[in-house]
Amino acid sequence: MLQALADGILTGAIIALGAIGLTLTMGILRFANFAHAELITWGAYMALAAVSLLGPLGGPIGPFSFGLPLILGTIAAMALTSVLALAIDGLVFRQLRGTSNHLTLVFASFGVSLLVRMLILLIFGGAATYYSNTLQIAIPVAPGLRLMPDQLFALGLAAVLVVALYLFLQHTRLGLSMRALAENPDLTRVNGVSTARVIRWTWIIGASLAAVAGVLYGLTVQLRPEVGFHLILPLFAAAILGGVGNIPGAVIGGMIVGLAESFAVFILPPGYKMAVPFLILLAVLYVRPTGLFAGTAGAAK
Amino acid sequence: MRRYLCSTAAALAATTFAAGSASAQSCEVNVGAVLSVTGSMAAIGSAIGDAGQLAVDHFNEAGGVNGCDVNYILRDDQGSPNVGVDAAKTLVEIENVPVILGAIQSGISLPILSSVTVPAGVTQISCCSSAPSFTELAEEGGTDGYWFRTLPTDRPQAVVMATIAREKGYERIAVVHVNSDYGNSLAGNFEQAFEALGGEVSSITPYNQEQASYRAEINRALQGDPDSLFLIAFPADGATAAREWISFGGSQNMLLSNALRAEEFVNAVGAQYLTEAVGIDNAQVEGESVEAFNASWKEQYESDPSGPGLHTMYDAAAVALLAMEQAGEADGTAIRDSVREITGGEGEEVYPGPEGFAKAKELIAAGEPIRYVGATGPITFDDNGDVTGPYLTWGVEDGALVTLDTWDIERVNEAMAGVSEE
Amino acid sequence: MSGFGIYLVFFLIIALNYGIMVLGLNLQWGYTGLFNAGVVGFYAIGAYGTAILAGPDRAALIGGFGLPFPLAILGGMILCALAAIVVGLATLKLREEYLAIATFGIAITIQLVALNFESLTGGANGLVGLPRPFIDAFESTTSYNLFFLAVVACVTGLVYVALEAAVRSPWGRLLNAVREDEVAARSLGKNIALIRLQAFVLGCTLIGLSGGIYVAFIGFVSPLDFLPILTFQIWAMLIVGGSGNNAGALLGAIVVWALWTMSGLAISRFSPVGFQNQAGAIQTMLIGLLIVSMLIFRPRGLIGERATVSSHKERGAP
Repeated sequence: MLQALADGILTGAIIALGAIGLTLTMGILRFANFAHAELITWGAYMALAAVSLLGPLGGPIGPFSFGLPLILGTIAAMALTSVLALAIDGLVFRQLRGTSNHLTLVFASFGVSLLVRMLILLIFGGAATYYSNTLQIAIPVAPGLRLMPDQLFALGLAAVLVVALYLFLQHTRLGLSMRALAENPDLTRVNGVSTARVIRWTWIIGASLAAVAGVLYGLTVQLRPEVGFHLILPLFAAAILGGVGNIPGAVIGGMIVGLAESFAVFILPPGYKMAVPFLILLAVLYVRPTGLFAGTAGAAK
Repeated sequence: MRRYLCSTAAALAATTFAAGSASAQSCEVNVGAVLSVTGSMAAIGSAIGDAGQLAVDHFNEAGGVNGCDVNYILRDDQGSPNVGVDAAKTLVEIENVPVILGAIQSGISLPILSSVTVPAGVTQISCCSSAPSFTELAEEGGTDGYWFRTLPTDRPQAVVMATIAREKGYERIAVVHVNSDYGNSLAGNFEQAFEALGGEVSSITPYNQEQASYRAEINRALQGDPDSLFLIAFPADGATAAREWISFGGSQNMLLSNALRAEEFVNAVGAQYLTEAVGIDNAQVEGESVEAFNASWKEQYESDPSGPGLHTMYDAAAVALLAMEQAGEADGTAIRDSVREITGGEGEEVYPGPEGFAKAKELIAAGEPIRYVGATGPITFDDNGDVTGPYLTWGVEDGALVTLDTWDIERVNEAMAGVSEE
Repeated sequence: MSGFGIYLVFFLIIALNYGIMVLGLNLQWGYTGLFNAGVVGFYAIGAYGTAILAGPDRAALIGGFGLPFPLAILGGMILCALAAIVVGLATLKLREEYLAIATFGIAITIQLVALNFESLTGGANGLVGLPRPFIDAFESTTSYNLFFLAVVACVTGLVYVALEAAVRSPWGRLLNAVREDEVAARSLGKNIALIRLQAFVLGCTLIGLSGGIYVAFIGFVSPLDFLPILTFQIWAMLIVGGSGNNAGALLGAIVVWALWTMSGLAISRFSPVGFQNQAGAIQTMLIGLLIVSMLIFRPRGLIGERATVSSHKERGAP
């Protein structure tokens, strides 16, 4: 039970990082971006590429399985993922933003996700890989609970990032305009906020967090091109559960989805684990479509 | 140009009437293969395709089949049945192949069998589809005898593994298996055999392929303090599952299924964690016929033939071609009826490689019976197109795959009897 | 009949059957503007429903009712409709993309049920040895396939005619109204959610019909038949053919399936074995590229939608 709790929190933290970006784009750009999950895969693989280039810079630090190369690699991955997100926006989504049916955007994101996934498959191959081939042995922390140092690091980093983002949104001018745009776009535009700039920073923040989520995933689990595809449903479930556009909501939503997946194994056969986010999603849509914490953009029409 | 060359060659052959059979050919016969070159089985698929090519090359070196050059047409099924069925249909109708080799996954072989090869009267020989459904279908008469497979079914493998586990003194074993026809059947048979031998299976946990994490599954398998693990998986997923098992304190007493016999698996897990592990595989490593195959593989591809499906694919192709030679015509039904004439039985033994095939051709031409002893050793198909074969066990020493022990057919049968008695 | 002719019959059976699916999707997306991201899920429900109802009785399985095929296919379609109602009721009153997310989810869930619910679906082994309807009445496979093609063509034709009549009826114009200007439609006192639900359920039922026919033709069903890539393939057919046009939907099905299979043939003939590893990924990328570039550069597809009631919408996007 304790082990499931710990695993659930860790998975939840990774889902939460991804869901923050998703909820921001759903709130500010007003469409469900199926390609968001692929940014996670992309980030993870960009860090892998960086690690293989920077390998000589140093071995593992302390009890962790990684060292300086991965830390630098993560920063590079954040930048490269932001570049990809902005490129997709410029090449595809911006072209379609004016079309009459805004579902065209959703659909295009569907196609983009396929493209990105196959591109990763083409460049890096389909086999599972790791940042480091040395196996970390989990340390018994309490009876029935084993943790790897990398997992604690992942959790800590996720927490730091969430708090930092929260402060940014509360206290900077850019953060405030982002929140305003997510909550009430019409009013914000009237008040003279530069929409283009806010959209750009939405992509950068969302993509950077996705890249970190990808690295943490690769660090604690493994890397494979399907990572993003399998995360699409958990991300949407977390974002909708927390209320679209609501960042603390997305974090809590991510935790709930992560824990539910982890505990579901005690009730359902493990093969059905991937259906858990869908069941949560369906329940939320039936019972409280605005999410637990009244989504800012409003799900109901 | 080629046609010109061919007719010239034919004319030459006609004039030099007494020329040996290995001279240039005047015709071509197509042999089709449907394999997963891309998609989820891509990691093993292209090497398997090479094994088929090797058999065809050897046959052509020996002078082709029925005086014709063999043309090997490999089609990719992309891991999808709809693509595989379409590929098989084009092979049968447009390329006029009398025999199809493949597919790898049972979920692709079966629709090809039911909707393409059986209706068209084309023989299908698979290297790698292990589902029990084929036996079931053959017993019902659904295959009309057109179905053969060169890898043994799962039950003997499960019994051998259970026997080894008991010999090693394992009492409570956890089974983690890939949720596929292969995994389900092997796990079920293993449980039955292990419990018949007095052991206890603490849990059977299926996992779905290509998932990012198997932590939930591994946690479940760790419940109930098992002293050992039987891992039934393919190399990529298997490595992830094995890593998580070891990371979270699972025992290093591991049994590994045949598909895990790959360097990719050993490297991804780390050889130092696999010193206690025992794996199994279908191939017979001893004997001239196996060495003949291994040597020619090394010569051709400059690596050891250690992936899954290589030996069985070579044999699938060799059986198809020898049956075609025996039948004297490239016809699916004639090939089907000749397969058992060139395997099993008491004929003179012939081995893989150009020399072996040349010898086989001579004997067939002389009307003598032959018996193909292949890359997996002697092959005998039963009424359902299944084979029972010898096994080997393997382990990891100094970072390399090594063979630990061999189980010939008699020993396997003994183990099988030991399970059914109790 | 020449080998190529026999193959062509086989090809057309599969392509026209996909055509039925594309017609169902066209009703949802082309006419009503509903985004179904889980086409393969409903296809699987129809296929498994049919297989379970028509299959022979087996000891290890719950199913195996041995029903005649037309009844079994009908049963599969009803199951599809029920699943569509569950998803539709949850999402159709909400923002449009919620339907996309929920249908995406149901496709994954159905795949898991197919793989894990062994006593019903045969698990990874699938359901084997399903009877093929009326096969005993034919002497050769070729004549049977010709017969099957005739049946599939008739069914496709019927679906086409019925859909053409439907989209021209007042109900059909209502669909367009809902898609193009929801506020106006609502102000006319129409129940938007109900109209959407009708179109969604009807479309899913057609997708289920296609699944049932597939099972009847192949005689086998397994989880491998329902990989997520199929959803993309069907979408590509609709987008290429032109959404909002039933004839285009059928044309798209044939063209895209032909390209897909021929590229496989071409790869095996002309590309070196070493390259074949990447070919599958490239093929799939082409689908993605096709979808995205058609959306940007040629939103109306090969044939495209006829300008109808609301041609004025062209000028001013909201």
